[in-house]
Formats: sequence, structure tokens, C-alpha cells
Amino acid sequence: MTPSTTIYPARRVVTMNRGFPFGEAVAVRDGRILGVGTVAELAGFGEHVVDDRFRDHVILPGFVEAHTHVMAGGLWQFPYVGYFDRTDPDGRFWHGSTSIEAVVERLVEVEREMTDPGEPLVAWGLDPIYMPGERLVAHHLDRVSEHRPIFVYHASGHLATVNSAMMRVSEIDANTATPGVMIDASGVPNGELQEPAAMGLARTGMMALASAIGSDASKWGYANEARNGGQTFVTDLGTTRIHDEASMASWYAAVDDPAFPARVMLAGSPMFGGLQDPTELAAVASAHRRENTRDKLRFGVIKLVLDGSIQGFTARVGWPHYFRLPDGHPTNGLWLMPPDAVADVVTTHHAAGLTVHCHCNGDQAAQVFIDAVETALERHPRWNHRHTVQHSQLTTPAQYRKMAELGMCANLFSNHLWYWGDQHRDVTVGPERAARMNAAATALRTGVPISIHSDSPITPMGHLHTAWCAVNRLTASGEVLGPDERIGVHDALGAITLGAAYQLELDHEIGSIEAGKLADFAILDDDPLAVDPSELKDIGVWGTVLGGVPQPAAGRS
Amino acid sequence: MTTGPVPVTVIAGYLGAGKTTLLNHLLRSADERVAVIVNDIGSINIDAELVESNDGSTIALTNGCLCCSLIDGLDVAFESLLEAEPRPERIVVEASGAARPASIAAHAHRPGLHLDGVLVVVDGENVLRQAHNEYIGDVIERQVRSADLLLLSKLDLVDADLRRRTEDWLGRTADAPMVEAPHGAVPLEVLVGLGARHVAEGVGDLDLHHAVTTRSESWTEPIDRDVLEAWLDALDPDVVRVKGVVRLSEAPDRRHVVHRVGRRRAIADAGPWDRGRSEVVVIAVGSSR
Repeated sequence: MTPSTTIYPARRVVTMNRGFPFGEAVAVRDGRILGVGTVAELAGFGEHVVDDRFRDHVILPGFVEAHTHVMAGGLWQFPYVGYFDRTDPDGRFWHGSTSIEAVVERLVEVEREMTDPGEPLVAWGLDPIYMPGERLVAHHLDRVSEHRPIFVYHASGHLATVNSAMMRVSEIDANTATPGVMIDASGVPNGELQEPAAMGLARTGMMALASAIGSDASKWGYANEARNGGQTFVTDLGTTRIHDEASMASWYAAVDDPAFPARVMLAGSPMFGGLQDPTELAAVASAHRRENTRDKLRFGVIKLVLDGSIQGFTARVGWPHYFRLPDGHPTNGLWLMPPDAVADVVTTHHAAGLTVHCHCNGDQAAQVFIDAVETALERHPRWNHRHTVQHSQLTTPAQYRKMAELGMCANLFSNHLWYWGDQHRDVTVGPERAARMNAAATALRTGVPISIHSDSPITPMGHLHTAWCAVNRLTASGEVLGPDERIGVHDALGAITLGAAYQLELDHEIGSIEAGKLADFAILDDDPLAVDPSELKDIGVWGTVLGGVPQPAAGRS
Repeated sequence: MTTGPVPVTVIAGYLGAGKTTLLNHLLRSADERVAVIVNDIGSINIDAELVESNDGSTIALTNGCLCCSLIDGLDVAFESLLEAEPRPERIVVEASGAARPASIAAHAHRPGLHLDGVLVVVDGENVLRQAHNEYIGDVIERQVRSADLLLLSKLDLVDADLRRRTEDWLGRTADAPMVEAPHGAVPLEVLVGLGARHVAEGVGDLDLHHAVTTRSESWTEPIDRDVLEAWLDALDPDVVRVKGVVRLSEAPDRRHVVHRVGRRRAIADAGPWDRGRSEVVVIAVGSSR
């Protein structure tokens, strides 16, 4: 019996394979790509069916996201009260809440639908930066309910605002000594809780969030959001405890379901409750790669974190450090690992044949990681390590040159240019360094392979938007930030496909449309190489094809 | 059984300063049930037998990414220790080498806990060099400034000149008392004060080491809170600890416990007044400065 072959004709097939860049159709068999060409050419493979559904669409390799977190899917179990419009994984459109009134109104609606009076109301996405004037505090939320505890988690992840009922059940009062419990003029807590120590006091709110993001539904929400934007491969960069059998069983059940619409890389990490001992962590990650790699599950990456965030003034930024540092902030950011400990940890993973992806927002953090990779290579020469600077937001040209020499990659947080670019120029690092943040052009010029990412849920997952950010470098106020670091559309498409696949050491399987690779496609309504580059983010996404199976986005068919 | 808040001791200091050595010393000499929370990447070198012989427990804590951690591991660790049976009489948190001690200490204000003090271990041999390093200088300085007590290790490895310059810099940078800690060997009274049992039973039975000087004060009349506070604040800089049980004039039928660790002080209600005299013990390390 002949295996079944499907040929998908399209308006155009953009392969991202430089040796064979375009085609009229792609043929698929057993979940893999047979070839690209005309329908007539592909008919040479024998018996087949022609599936016409993508005749008016443009087929690209499935987008590969190398930096997201599975919790993105879980947050949508709660109402969204962020400033920007967003679409949830089920395709429901959420208007941005642009005022305190709008936030309160949305919560009143949600509260009305809740049945168990003791259940806390949790919401997420609040972003006071964009709401000038009065700040949302407990008395606003008391208008939603005086009895039901309410917990509003901010977009930054560093703050929460709660109502009086939540303060009562959490024993937060004028005697609470925990730093970060904000008070009003009369010395009474006003409901705003800053940083983990204070947020943790609102235990029921935090527990509800934690259980949602660890749930099975979270994984489906995550994969659905990926599919809706054309991603066929997502990386959960260090959020899952890969040594925890229950977490892994939940993953196996999800990815083994034929309907699960994405492939996933699970990066091991000492963060988020992961194994602290690098030798143990490397052993577990290696064993997973050897024994538990599945059709839709991959291993082999280790995530480390060196510093904090630039907008939180916790990234490690080299001299002259921050631009307009708010009163009371330390001059420089936080080290999440002592710099002197990094080389040994990197060497352990490097020697085990794993690829280290290291969160480095600031240039000091990048330098420590680059030096650690150099040390690891001196101790243990290895040619295809592909160790990757993650975020790499302030990496300097000199650092990129050294990364190229050492065989390192970069995954840039290009979405920052849009979401926080104005703040970076005006407040955090000032105009010159803001103009070279997420320096994709410099990276490519110096020969560093790149990808770009959303860090979802920090910013929404959607690679056409992320590519648009790298191509246009527009801020939310409409200014071009660092025009000389803009890259072309083709390079940006490369970054979201083969570039990401390369740094995950999966470029032999995914990232381009070539015979033998997995039949993972992004199905677009328009041709990103033909539209005006300023319209890249507006191209509609029909959905994906995953292993040869069409996966329509929510609301599409 | 202890029902009051459990004292929390934070041990901080940069990589290699000698935090674990100090912790092991503390566990070896402790006469209370000590639980330990460790927060570090890499191998953990606590002597597990010491923790077990203390009848306590060890929790290895992990970091959360600053931009997206939801549940802080420290809160979860504290909670599980507070629910443990029997409950520990003290919790010691060993901070990661690059941690800001104040961020860790912030968690010790939860219901059921009481921040006893932040002990910062300083590498006497290397701290001056580290303090001028572009990457970690600010971290070291912040740690030193956050200390309630500074413990200087490895001073036996340095010459007189470096020792003088190191002590000068520390004196300029921090206002906490300094205590030499060769191989972590610091009298327990200095590290953690008197155990919860001692406080409950009244001060006494001190077995102080010769490096430490001590004096006690006692009186019968109730004392005004502001007089007591002013007296606490005016003590010599070499005073590392004050512990006592007092009767305040604002509440003469209540027993108040007084703590001072370095420059941090606290006065807390500890039940009905049940004794004849107020009594306070002052512990100083005279040779340290």
C-alpha cells in the first residue's frame, strides 16, 4: 500500500532555504516534507491528493519561538485588564482597559458571574505606566466587592493590587512590617503590594495564579496561542521542573494528544524550583533527550538567568549604568548568580553536550556569560555548542564580535522596542544606548546567528509582530528607535524560523521547508516579502500545519 | 511549646566569604531546633547530620526569574516550616552569594515570623579587592551596608596593613558592629542571641565565651518605652546583642521582650508579667574594633 501523499498548492511557498527559495506547492507524506516545486513536479512522487485549501495563502516554515514560558497559557484562565488590546488563545478579543473605570467595570462584570462567594477574583495584565494620574488602589476594587477577596496582578509581574477583603483575609494591616506594602497618607495599607515579599502576603491570590499556570489547561492555552500566530514550535525556557515526574507526566499527556497544536522544547533550569546542582540538572536533561524525546517534545537546552530587567532597573548594565535612576534605586541591578560561579556551571552543561541559553538583559551580564563560555571552551573544546545570549538587549558591538569568535548565538527581545522603547530612551538607558538595544543589524554584521522573541507572557506571542518590531523599530509613541539597527524582512523571517531552529540545534528538523524536514508550516493570508514592511504585523494568520496536519487558528477553518 | 513568632536569622555574604562554614558552626553549637533554608546555585555543603542532630530540617530553595516569578520559594519554605511538627525554634536562611540581604529579610515579616537579624559574612582576605570590582563592587557594598552584624572571616590570612585597610573600609561603609569569625567560630550568643527557651524562662545561665564580654542590668520599677529605646540606641558600637525581659510603664501587667541585634532593635509583648524584676543582658565584643 502506498503511503498517502498530500500536495498543497499555494499562492507561494517561501521556503527560507536559500538554495531553493520559492515554490508553487509543497508535498507532504507521513508528517514530513517530500519536496517543493510545482504540482506537476511533485506528482512524480506517485499517488497523491491535491489539497486546495491553501491555494490563496502563502506557506512559510512554521515559526519557531525560542523564548517563551508555558504560564502564558494559564493566565488566560483569569480576566485580562491590561492596557493593550489582546486576543486570547481561544480567539476571544479583549479590549484594552485604558482607565481605572474600565478596569473596575470589567471586574464588576466578572464578579457578577462568579458563584462561590469565597473564591478569590484574580485578574492580570494591569499596567499603571500607561494610566497617568490616579493609581488603582483598594478602594476602587472595593467597589467591585467588599466581601470577595480580589487580586489584580500587574503586567510587570512585580506588583499586585488587592481589595480590602483580600487584606483582611491576608492579615495585611497598619502593623504589617513587610517592605513593599504601600500605605496611604494615614499610614494604612492602600492595597498595592510591591515585589514578591509583599505580594506573597496575599496568599490566596498567589496560590490561585500558581495553580492556574501549572495546570494542564495552561499547556493547551500556550500551544493554542502559538498556533494562532503561526508558531509550530515553542520553547518553554526554564519554567517546567524537568526533574518533577508529575509535571513531566502532564506534558507527555498533552504532547501525545494528536490534537495538541505545537511542538515544545522543554529547557531545564535551576530557576522556578528546578534542580540547583548543575551536575544533576545536566544528567536529567541529557536523560530526557536520550529517552523522552517525542514527536512533539524536545530536550537539550539549559536556561540560566544572570540578571533582572532593564525597565525594573534590575539588569546589570555597564558604566555609566542607568540614565535617570529613580530615587532610592541601587545604582546597578541584581545578579541572580554570583558572577564568579557562572563559568563552572556553564562548563558542566557544556561538557555534557547541552546548549546553554542564558538570560542576559544588561551588557555586564552578557560579558560574564561570554567569558564563561570562553572558559568552558578552554577547558573542554567543543565545536557546535551554539550557546545563546537570551534577551541580549544591551550587548555591545565588541561583545557581538567576541560572540562570533566563540560560536555563540543571540536571541533578541525585539518586542521591547515597541512596548518599552520610549521608556528606555527617556528613562532607563538614554538615547544612544536605547538606539542600539536589541541590535539585530550589528549581530548579523558581526556574524552572530540570531533569533528574536516575545518572552510570552511578558509580551504577547506572535512572530509576525516580533519580526515587524525588528524590521521597523517603532516605539509605542511612533518614533523609530535606532534606524541603523533595523533589519530587512528576509533577515527577520530568517530569525523567526531557521535562526531559532539553529540555536535550539534543531535546524536539521525544522526552520525551513526542505525535503526530509518535518511538515510544519505557517499559513499566512498575505506574502510577508511582498507587503509593505510596515504592515508585516497586520498579515492575517490562517493557522499552521503541524506534521502535515492543518491546525486552523481560533475562529478560522 | 513555642507559640510566639519564630526568629529568622539571615546569613548573607558573597561567594566564598564563609557563609556555609558559619552556618555549620551555628548548627553544631545550637541548643534549639534550627531549620535551615538554603538559597544557592551549585553544590550545597551543609553538613546534613548537623541539621538532623538538631532535629530541624533543611529546605533547598530555588531562584525565581525576577521578571516573571509568581510564587516566591521563600514564602513557601517559611510556610512549610511553620506548619512542621514540632515547629522549629529558629529558622536560618543562607542567602545566595549575590543576594541583596534586605530582599531576603523582607520575607521574615510574615505572620508567625520575626526577623532576628541579618548576619553578613565578609571575606577579610578579598573584600577590598571585591569592593572595587566593576561587576560586584556595588553588590558587596550593599551587603555590608545591610548587615546588622558583620562577621569577618579569613583575617588570619592577611597582613597587618591589609587588615587595617579592610577594617577602615568596613568602618566607613557600615555602621554595624564587626566580629572576627575565624573558621566561622563565633560564640552562639553573638550569632543568634539567647534561644527561645531562655527568653521564655528568663535570662540566666549564660555560658559566655572568653572573647565576649557581658553585663546585665536589672531593676524593679516599670520603665518608659522611650527611655528604654533611647538607652538601647545609645549603647556602645561594640555591643552586638541585647536580650531581656522588661516591664513597661505603659503596660505594667505585661511582659515585654527586648532584642537588639547590632543596630536593629525590637520590643515585643510576650504575655502577662510574671516575675519580680526587669532584666537585660548586654553582649559586647570588645576586641573587635
